[in-house]
Amino acid sequence: MTSDLGTRLSAGAEDRPNWSSWLADHPLAVLSVVLVALVLVTAVIEPRYLSVGGLRNTVLLAAPLGIMAGAQTILMLTGGIDLSVGMIATAAAYVAANQSPNGAAIAIVTGLLVGLVAGSVNGIGVGVFKVNALIMTLAMSAILLGLFTALSFTVLQGSTTVAPFIKTLGGGSFWGNRIPYNALVWAGVSLVIIFGLKRTGFGRLLYAVGDNPIAVRLAGVRIWQVHIAAYAIAGLLAALAGILLAGRTGAVDLQLAVSFLLPSVAAAVIGGTSIFGGMGTYGGTILGALILGVLATMMTFLDAGQAIQQVVYGSIVLALAWLYARVTRAS
Amino acid sequence: MTTFEEAREGRGVDWRRIARRQGWTVGVWLLLLGTIVFYATLIPNFGDFQITSIAKNSLPLVYLAVAQAIIVIAGGIDLAVGAMLVLSNAVAARLMEGQPFAMTIVIAIGVIVFCALLNAGVGWVITVSKVPDIVVTLATLFIISGLALMVLPSPGGGTSEWFRALFTGSTTGSGSNFWPPLLMMAIPVAIAALFMRRTKTGLSLYATGSSPVAAYLSAINTARAKVVSYAIGGAYAALGGLSALAITGSGESRFSTGSNFTLRSVAAVVLGGVALTGGIGSVVGAAAAGIFLYTLSPVLSAMGVDPNTAQVIQGVLIVVVMMVAGIVQLRRERAE
Repeated sequence: MTSDLGTRLSAGAEDRPNWSSWLADHPLAVLSVVLVALVLVTAVIEPRYLSVGGLRNTVLLAAPLGIMAGAQTILMLTGGIDLSVGMIATAAAYVAANQSPNGAAIAIVTGLLVGLVAGSVNGIGVGVFKVNALIMTLAMSAILLGLFTALSFTVLQGSTTVAPFIKTLGGGSFWGNRIPYNALVWAGVSLVIIFGLKRTGFGRLLYAVGDNPIAVRLAGVRIWQVHIAAYAIAGLLAALAGILLAGRTGAVDLQLAVSFLLPSVAAAVIGGTSIFGGMGTYGGTILGALILGVLATMMTFLDAGQAIQQVVYGSIVLALAWLYARVTRAS
Repeated sequence: MTTFEEAREGRGVDWRRIARRQGWTVGVWLLLLGTIVFYATLIPNFGDFQITSIAKNSLPLVYLAVAQAIIVIAGGIDLAVGAMLVLSNAVAARLMEGQPFAMTIVIAIGVIVFCALLNAGVGWVITVSKVPDIVVTLATLFIISGLALMVLPSPGGGTSEWFRALFTGSTTGSGSNFWPPLLMMAIPVAIAALFMRRTKTGLSLYATGSSPVAAYLSAINTARAKVVSYAIGGAYAALGGLSALAITGSGESRFSTGSNFTLRSVAAVVLGGVALTGGIGSVVGAAAAGIFLYTLSPVLSAMGVDPNTAQVIQGVLIVVVMMVAGIVQLRRERAE
């Protein structure tokens, strides 16, 4: 019976190769359908969700995640990964809170600087000393956690809130409370990343390094420099996400962005970025972040308790990854 | 007579080969030994109590390092081993409370089998879906953590006194009898090492991790190898959860515990000389790295370093060790 169904299904796939190969060529269309479907399911659960306010909240949730997933996408394209994005974001938020009395501009710049430095150190470890990316960024995460736990008792004591401007940027909205400011920041970052990956030499180099490092080296590229630049950019993006997050929650603590680490990887993966490098787009990651944002909103509406939330969340991530693998392999 | 001598010559110990093939594992054990000797000189009285303490407290991480090592050697990576440890811990704590020793042993075996089957399912999903290991196990990390939270919503549960003694050497979980924890460490690690090096299935895991295509062409069932590696990994992760239950005497299912343990297991595996690309390394090296990673914390606290600074130092140490290893590797490649 099952094999019968299987042959019929595969025969069906042969009958309409256009349909299935079109999907394989346009995986983002599949993701968009999934996104719309999830929004509709959420609307069924909670009818009030399908309003400007409801959708705005999802974007507000997804923006920091999307920016952090951007860091992950860039690194995954080179065949790397950054498990320290959560701690870098938290560290940047702490420093931004500490510098907030000196004005929002200085706070943001120093916060971003933390990300740049931590990211560059990651890049030097991975690029120059050939430390495995998982281990390097894991150790960086541990180092930052220890450092900022210690600092939170001394230098950074009392640095728990950020400047009003950052609060507006991270949590406020404009145009009659319709569009969050952080979505505007996310849009700007997205344009830069998408353009950078598609149209600049450096962007193409990121793909090339992930696809075939030996060929890239033989072509005369100093791969270690590409690595340092990529990790520095990732650190910068993580720091930006952390500052926005601090603005949204209004308070800074050591757990601020830690829970964003695994979703940031998941968003990039759902969006079709290969964990082995060389394949993927930031457009897919944006859809991945939005899907996870809708999913998080749905979970809060379901009010199902943490245990069931985790099981459902994991199952959907797995199902989406499976679906994506199936669709793209059809060609 | 000469033929006999020649034969002896031929069979003689080739130290160079051993150094090349086992150098890293030996190095990690020496590093561990050095750390423990340093610890012994650091504190006024180093005796049975300290040995017991190190042996029992490093058990969960050692088991988890072995689990991760077997999966990584077979070409995978399991981000959910820590969650599996938490699940086993939660289920065992829930079922063992108030039970006699014999019953707790039966439950323990049941939990190990259950976790092995569950993780075999994960391995099966990976082979069928062809989704990368890291992505599937990222998802199962959430699913398994959720299951653990369902079983044990708040810290609690318990176990029998002698079950605690089995892993810790004392019915109260704290004592100076170091034989039980040492044996509970040595026997499972030895079994895993022998399995990986001396059985057909174990070698097929190495072959699959080293080159899946070549292994497939050599008539190795690579899908089976993957499922087997995840099943054994699940069993060892379950053992980790049981040892954690024996140490603390009650269960706890926190998401962060699981993800922290996973991250430390990956660190232990890499530090132990297992290549994340698969096919290279040994279970014994990973186990030594697991003990080493645990031992750092009592050493640093004996040196009067506060826990936060200790965490920074641990992170820096791991990076430095890996950097040195990277440079050694680079020089060796250039020399060849």
